[in-house]
Amino acid sequence: MNAPVAGADLAELSMTEAADAFARGEVRAEALVRACLARIEAHDSKVNSVVRLDREAALEAAAAQDRARAAGQTLGPLAGAPMMHKDMYYRAGKVSTCGSKIRADFVPKVTATVLERLDAAGAIDMGTLNMAEFAQNPTGHNAHLGHCHNPWGLDYCTGGSSSGSGAGVAARFFTAALGSDTGGSIRLPATICGVTGLKATQTRVSRHGVMPLSFSCDNVGPLVRTARDAARFLRVTAGRDPKDPTSAAEPVPDYEAALTGSVKGMKIAVCETYFLDGADAPVVAAFEAALATLREAGAEVTRIAAPSLRAIAAYTALVSRVEGAAIHANWMREHPGDYAIHLSARLYGGYPIPAHLYVEGLSRRGPLLRQFVAEALTGHDLVATPTLRTRVPTLAETDIDADPANWSRFMAVSANTRPFNYLGLPTVSIPCGFDDRGLPVGLQLAGRPFAEATVLRAADAFQQMTDWHRRAPVL
Amino acid sequence: MMHGLPEGQAMPTEPDLVMPMMEAIRLWSGVAVPNAAARHGLVDHAALIAELEALRGSMQFEEEPSGFEAALRDCRESRA
Repeated sequence: MNAPVAGADLAELSMTEAADAFARGEVRAEALVRACLARIEAHDSKVNSVVRLDREAALEAAAAQDRARAAGQTLGPLAGAPMMHKDMYYRAGKVSTCGSKIRADFVPKVTATVLERLDAAGAIDMGTLNMAEFAQNPTGHNAHLGHCHNPWGLDYCTGGSSSGSGAGVAARFFTAALGSDTGGSIRLPATICGVTGLKATQTRVSRHGVMPLSFSCDNVGPLVRTARDAARFLRVTAGRDPKDPTSAAEPVPDYEAALTGSVKGMKIAVCETYFLDGADAPVVAAFEAALATLREAGAEVTRIAAPSLRAIAAYTALVSRVEGAAIHANWMREHPGDYAIHLSARLYGGYPIPAHLYVEGLSRRGPLLRQFVAEALTGHDLVATPTLRTRVPTLAETDIDADPANWSRFMAVSANTRPFNYLGLPTVSIPCGFDDRGLPVGLQLAGRPFAEATVLRAADAFQQMTDWHRRAPVL
Repeated sequence: MMHGLPEGQAMPTEPDLVMPMMEAIRLWSGVAVPNAAARHGLVDHAALIAELEALRGSMQFEEEPSGFEAALRDCRESRA
């Protein structure tokens, strides 16, 4: 074994740093897991990110990785990296609550393909994470498991629905976590907790064995510290899955190989309307500073009009709500009281939306994608927006259960992320500053379908020029 | 009893659209209004309806076959 990495630093390592240090023989997998367990035991009573901690199983898996390396066996690309995942990824025989009372004892019979691929890559699964009930809110409130708290300020929301994933990666409880993203549920907790979140192209990652929320807009993806982490994670998890007939057969490139560290010559579009409408000044300031950084590094930033956004935003508001209402119809009839107030309220709003508008929304999805690509991504490599238009709200400010008057603020949280679910475009959120209350601000970058390598190249280059993603909350 | 309001009682400023929507949901889906927040959420539909109305001339069912997955493939970066 080479010189070991100092124990105190292990929980600070990013996913790729941890896996690479393990592969080089600089650290044992067991030490990586123990460092994360110590962080969880010291601080999760404040954050409330963990639902089920599989302590012994994680240590056994780590010991197996240590033995494999000692025996000279080939290691997977994520070998030794401790992870936990949103509690909606099924593992046969293990309870998957989906953040709900209704599924408090649900034991799936299948294992999610994405978990099988992570296992095969050597990742250490330490357990499951808090999430919005049935992945249905953008703030991280959970009446059944307790709200998840933002490590940067415990009174603030974490973003949702992958609340525990964002909070736990920020708190250095683990190196990576699966989230899911139907309207921003990876990117919102990523921006609000100051970490990196990737929603890949619709169909890029298998959804087999994953709780459905909206068949049209659901996506599987990681919350991690760095774009490089996201690149490696995606390569492991992406690709055709016979168990998910909607998964794309597109080849999976080596995303890490595309991380050149340069954005020189890259063309970035900023839409003049919609994404900055009503944005808070500290958010705009951080966003403009991020654009300036990219420009100084050689990127060309252009303000453009994208008239299709108005229709995209309107259809976006319809599709996932109708699909969610359909999925939950039986429970809404038979067990409405088992949902949190805000969730049954939100689902209820999906029922009066006319079917013809839903069908129209689906029929226009392809044409509107083509139109948006023509407007914004022809002659440009990326579209840049703030991930969240407003400063990070507090849990109280977005608590519908306490006061229905908070409805508009609650729904506005996902305004900038939802359109990219309807469009199906690959989109990353990376930290780009802090607001005047010390909460993180995120930069959202979207590219053409299957252009994850380009999106991640820009995100990685930005992270090589800045240190926002390296900053850690004090707990 | 709904949260914050006696069951069946409207908010003081509730728009006219709420009661017909609640009745339509009950008839078509068999789902009863679960709480006051749900009723409040229906109020929020007024803005969505207004937006759809404003877009009505430019929004229509797409007659030509237009699979979304095909659009994803056609718009991918390598064919830019």
